[in-house]
Amino acid sequence: MNRNIRTIVAAATFILMIAALFMVFDYAPTEADQGIVQRIFYFHVPCAWVAFASFGIAALSGILYLWLGDRIWDDLEYAAAETGMVFCTLVLVTGSLWAKPIWGTWWTWDSRLTTTFILWLMYGGYMMMRASADDTAQTARFGAVIAIVAAADVPVVIASVRLWRTIHPAVIVTKEGGHGLEDPRMVAALLVSLAAFTALYGWLLMLRFAQLRARTRLGALAREIALAYAAAGDD
Amino acid sequence: MSPFAAVLRKDLRLELRGGNSTLSLVALSLMVMAVMVFTQAEAKSHDAESAAAAIWIAMVFSGVIGATRVLTAERENGCIRGLLLCPIDPAGLYAAKLCAAFIFMAIAEAAAMLMMVLFFNLDFGVPLLRTAPILMLGALGFAAAATLLAAISSRTRAGDMILPILAVPIYVPALIAGVRATAAALGGAPMGAIAQWLKIMVAFDILLVTAGCLLFEYAARED
Amino acid sequence: MSAPVVETHKLSMLYGQSPVLREIDFKLLPGYGAFVIGGNGAGKSTLLRILAGMAAPTAGGALIFGRDTRRMSARYRRRIGMMAHQSFLYPNLTARENLEFYAALYGLPEPRVSAETWLDKVGMAQFADARVRAVSRGMEQRLSAARALIADPLLVLLDEPFASLDSDGAAIMARLIREALDRGASVVAAMHGVPAIAGTDFQVFELARGHLGPFTPKEEETTAWTGARIRSLLHR
Repeated sequence: MNRNIRTIVAAATFILMIAALFMVFDYAPTEADQGIVQRIFYFHVPCAWVAFASFGIAALSGILYLWLGDRIWDDLEYAAAETGMVFCTLVLVTGSLWAKPIWGTWWTWDSRLTTTFILWLMYGGYMMMRASADDTAQTARFGAVIAIVAAADVPVVIASVRLWRTIHPAVIVTKEGGHGLEDPRMVAALLVSLAAFTALYGWLLMLRFAQLRARTRLGALAREIALAYAAAGDD
Repeated sequence: MSPFAAVLRKDLRLELRGGNSTLSLVALSLMVMAVMVFTQAEAKSHDAESAAAAIWIAMVFSGVIGATRVLTAERENGCIRGLLLCPIDPAGLYAAKLCAAFIFMAIAEAAAMLMMVLFFNLDFGVPLLRTAPILMLGALGFAAAATLLAAISSRTRAGDMILPILAVPIYVPALIAGVRATAAALGGAPMGAIAQWLKIMVAFDILLVTAGCLLFEYAARED
Repeated sequence: MSAPVVETHKLSMLYGQSPVLREIDFKLLPGYGAFVIGGNGAGKSTLLRILAGMAAPTAGGALIFGRDTRRMSARYRRRIGMMAHQSFLYPNLTARENLEFYAALYGLPEPRVSAETWLDKVGMAQFADARVRAVSRGMEQRLSAARALIADPLLVLLDEPFASLDSDGAAIMARLIREALDRGASVVAAMHGVPAIAGTDFQVFELARGHLGPFTPKEEETTAWTGARIRSLLHR
């Protein structure tokens, strides 16, 4: 990955993040019903968007890896899965922090929360598999299989969880559309925050991807050297 | 005889000849149901909801063991390598393994249904009959997911420990749908009322069986 | 001149950083046999596993019937018979059931008949209904050979075919190799320390420190009992 592009994205992240912080805490008005707590939403939503997009990238890379067999796709898949996991964790944490004062509970089995949690569990399994297998082509195939199955499962998860929540007696009455952004300044703050988090995500993904690429190349180089020695007849 | 039939016949024959997978699954189901009864408050232990919860927890546990057993049978003497050397479609191999796991699970589920009636003081009758297709759909889905993922987990250092961690989150939609449908059916709801749950289960089963057939090759290959 | 059945080009294999095979160039024509001689850990099994498509080489490649071993379709796998160190036999099935099972997987029209024929061929007819778990290592080895050869493969890969066989077993194994060659198949057999020299349709190689080269027999090895015995058996 080109170092210059990474520097540019890092700079963009820095600027956008400063702008987002200003807009979230100063520019956007305090929401009437929820008060100051509502501002966490400007972090929560971008994290969710980035996490879902990342898992999507992971699944697509998995398909490309199985199809083309080039390790570059495996590196991208692993990087996207890991980075997605970071943001998915942030979604759950920020969601809980927001839910406690607003809904009166840390956690509720709301359909979106549940879907996010299930995705988090799936990729938790993915990480555990990666951690307990050697860095081989076989492990790369395993990762691709899990990422693809997880992504294919998401529509069924959403369908089942929605049905479950509408039929199950609601423990907590949620205010549907509680995120209503009546003020245009709120919309602006959200958009800037979305851009900032997307840039942050892009930067982190590139860093991790470059690192994994380097590892893969290093492995290939070590093999080449060992092969050259082997051909020369030395041990 | 097709490779599918040959592999399935071989697995069933091995099972009858002291593989004891089914027996372990039945015993495990019994334990899970008993634990469920002991951990429930007295007042709650005789209703459809608890019974449905118990039988589905038993399903998940027995499914993990069932899929693991079906693949460990191939590990002795490196038989899985011998199978992969054969000129057969990996999808056929997957389908046969899936069927074997499903049959073991289905028998365990049938036994678990009997235990459920006894432990949770239910009646034999139409409501119970209605749960049978629900449980079979659930067993098929779990077998489909677990057979594919067991091919992965058995090759990691964590070994079979990792199978439930991989399989259960994937299985959540069928689990949610299955428990709700079972509870509704036991509570006397007609088939029409649980149709939407069944749709989700059928969709899950089709999805996972398809994914397994397409991806098993990549999970099982050795190089 | 017909196309080679096996052709490797600069085939190299590393386990971690340590080389097991180094730039092996090897060619085998239809109807010819090759013995690969080497000590324990010389990489003989690795070489056979690569040829069977069970392992991918680190560098270089191997062509079997002109196909890359890493992308072998069922049609090509059908032509390979591999007898590995592991027997690939189900311990809880009988000898007959194991052979019938594999015959069915190889798509043979009459699995039952094939199994019967091969039980006879490897002298296991009287143990046909014994479970593999209960038979001795040598008998398992005979069955393993029958399993590998049951579909009349055009390339026969044998890992230590004479290991744990008694003199009858060794005679049977030598006859099976001879029959395979006579029907036009190629045979690659890996062995350790046994200089099994045979007719003109055999090439003998030595695999040492990852290099495959011509074999030069050492005096004390050629006089070994098994060596002399197998040599005579292979000489028709």
